[in-house]
Amino acid sequence: MGSNVGYAVELKGVAKRYADIVAVDYVDLHVKHGEIFGLLGPNASGKSTTLKMILGLVKPDSGSVKVLGINTKEDSVAVKRQVGYVPETPRLYEFLTGLEYLDFVGDIYAVEPSEKKMRIEEHLEALDLEGREGDMISSYSQGMKQKIALISAFLHKPKLLILDEPLSGLDPKSARIVKDLLRKLTAQGVTAIMSTHILEIAQAMCDRIAIMYEGRLLALGNMKELRQKARMPGSDLEEIFLKLTGTGDIRKVVEALLK
Amino acid sequence: MKWKNVVRLVIVDVKSGRLIRGQTLRRYRESRVLQYLLYGGACVLGLAIGLAVGSFYNGMPDSELKSLIYRGAYYLFPSLPTIILISSMVFTMMVQIQRAGVRFSIQPPYWLPITWEEHTLASTLAHLVGVPLVSIILVGSAIAAFSIFLGELPLATFTIFALLASAFLASTTTEILRVLQVRLTGAVYKASGKAAVWVRFIGSLLFLIVFYVVWFAFTSGAGFVTLIEVVAGGQEAVWFIPYLWLGLSLASCMSGLLAQTIIFSLASVLFILALFYMAVRLNARFGLYEPPAITVSRGVYAPKVGLLGKLGFSSLEAAVIRKDFKAFTRRRELMYIFIMPLVFILMPLMQQLGALGEPAATEPSRFLFAWILLGPGAIMAVMLGTMIIGEEGGAVWHFFSSPITARSLVKCKYAFIVIFSCMVTIVCGIIGLIISCPSLDIAIALLIESVLLILALAAVSLGAGIRGADFTEVPRPRMVRPLTALVTMLSCLTLAVAIFSPLLLHAVMMGYIPIPVSLPEIDLSAAVSISAIIAAVIAFVFYRTAIKNAQKFLTKAEI
Repeated sequence: MGSNVGYAVELKGVAKRYADIVAVDYVDLHVKHGEIFGLLGPNASGKSTTLKMILGLVKPDSGSVKVLGINTKEDSVAVKRQVGYVPETPRLYEFLTGLEYLDFVGDIYAVEPSEKKMRIEEHLEALDLEGREGDMISSYSQGMKQKIALISAFLHKPKLLILDEPLSGLDPKSARIVKDLLRKLTAQGVTAIMSTHILEIAQAMCDRIAIMYEGRLLALGNMKELRQKARMPGSDLEEIFLKLTGTGDIRKVVEALLK
Repeated sequence: MKWKNVVRLVIVDVKSGRLIRGQTLRRYRESRVLQYLLYGGACVLGLAIGLAVGSFYNGMPDSELKSLIYRGAYYLFPSLPTIILISSMVFTMMVQIQRAGVRFSIQPPYWLPITWEEHTLASTLAHLVGVPLVSIILVGSAIAAFSIFLGELPLATFTIFALLASAFLASTTTEILRVLQVRLTGAVYKASGKAAVWVRFIGSLLFLIVFYVVWFAFTSGAGFVTLIEVVAGGQEAVWFIPYLWLGLSLASCMSGLLAQTIIFSLASVLFILALFYMAVRLNARFGLYEPPAITVSRGVYAPKVGLLGKLGFSSLEAAVIRKDFKAFTRRRELMYIFIMPLVFILMPLMQQLGALGEPAATEPSRFLFAWILLGPGAIMAVMLGTMIIGEEGGAVWHFFSSPITARSLVKCKYAFIVIFSCMVTIVCGIIGLIISCPSLDIAIALLIESVLLILALAAVSLGAGIRGADFTEVPRPRMVRPLTALVTMLSCLTLAVAIFSPLLLHAVMMGYIPIPVSLPEIDLSAAVSISAIIAAVIAFVFYRTAIKNAQKFLTKAEI
């Protein structure tokens, strides 16, 4: 099935439990082609599990997940070929150099050698990693490792990007480059699903946002729709998020800490 | 110096050491009964040994023999501090080797109000907890009990103090070496540029070889006796070496040379203090030192097509094989897989050369070549197979998120194990050929047998390694569940015997291994052929099992 069929990602009645803990509670979700989709929620709200189920890393207990028209249960390898993934805390092969690592990832996705060379060099230059690409990753800062992880997700020109805290640790210039790159890629038809705790970034970048809480989908839509749902016209995403997730009253907590 | 800080730091160090060894701490405050039981047990055992020897000594009717034992004990006492010094140094160095694989090194908590003196003293004392302290308690209590019968209690007390001082001296030296090693390796990496990776690899191997040569020389029975003889007889000749001053002060005391006793004792105390402050200064200077980045490549990047592609591996499979080669030659915590092949070569070699205190062999052992050729490669295959998936650690998400199939995963991992183990076999085979000069037919048969063992055992251990992979990385990479490792080792041993049995039969028939019953005759080529059939069946069955396990592994990726 081609990537232009229906939605880019389709979750129908998806649920996942870990022993007694409900990680995802019967979620229905559709992500359109070429949009930047934000998945927000407090810690342990089920965001990461949802992202992993989309990628086929975690099997849902019930429901179905379709990515680019392919059921992840039926052919997860075909899904993975078309997806670029950056986990929340990417553990890279630290004994490789940045260049060796990107070369490894390029080979994993069978990128043509000439194209691989061109794309690696372009990305290294764009994200200011030139000059350090021959050093072992173990000596890189957190931000540099994040840049390498991001490049490795972009390298094979995926049709879907799944990014868990993609701008974590990046310097302002690199963060801006990644944001612009994401916008241009989505304009070309690439779909991006990102999870972040930095609500300003989500508000500025995402076309639509889903807010998850205790495994359930609390709200879904663009900023206007979210404001309507929260009945908070003119509010920013942080205020809406805090109201919807019931974590708004933080004054007492701060006062208790100051005692 | 705040002693409470030192005590707290020692407790933290001991706890982290136990975590590194894989023990689980269940409670913040634990019962220390079990910890003290070990030391109490050593004390009771030492006292029992001392009392038993003393009673035996007292009940001896022969006064000549009695005087001989008295002289022997008198001869032994001055050499004990030096022996404890050497053994403590070996043990504390071993602890350092054990910690080399710790992912997050134990950094001094420099942001807390702790001085470098407190940190260094705590680190030095923590090195001694465990085997060094147990051996001091055991030897000390035995000496104390026996000295009552000899009427030499003051001398025994002095000896016990000297033992404790020796152990502290050894531990301080290890602390200094540890700090210097970090600084020195950093400087070497910086100076060696692109070759730093190979310098580290070869340097680590050389260190392991030297360490195990010293270890075997000291721990083998005859070697230990030789050590006592050398120390007892020779330390006065080299009195200028400060490490021997504790032993010399004891020897002077026993000879009634009071001035010399005081001089050597004071000199020892000053030497220990000087070493300790040197360790403090080095820690203050380099304790937070970060080794420079290792630069592996410079210049224009050119993607490689490589030999693996021409051998029929896909770009994905070749990438994983290349990555694993780099992992096993660059990751320090994985270099311990080379210990077993080294031990397999060093042990018989030292025995052959008479380095273990036993007379050197006049002609090469008949089984030496078989031992060197078959052992390392097969063991390497088993070890690699069991840990090859678990060694991925947290980076295993690459497999879960990339388009790799179960067949590809097993194919590339199996190929890596076989290639790597065969390389080890070739190196060992060359060493074996030089040492024992076997006949051509035996050499070829054993080489084939070695490859057969690798092919079969790699499949067995890989299947188990996929099933029992443990991705825990902190505080030390576990790689495989202990039970899986044990069961795999036993299974591989059994299967190796099954594969090798036709050749064993041939060896019996040829009279190399004498047995009382007669067995059917078997030709060498027939033995190797039967062996090959057994190995092929085992490899086929377990390779299929490995693929099934890989399918489950990739579809049940709950990371």
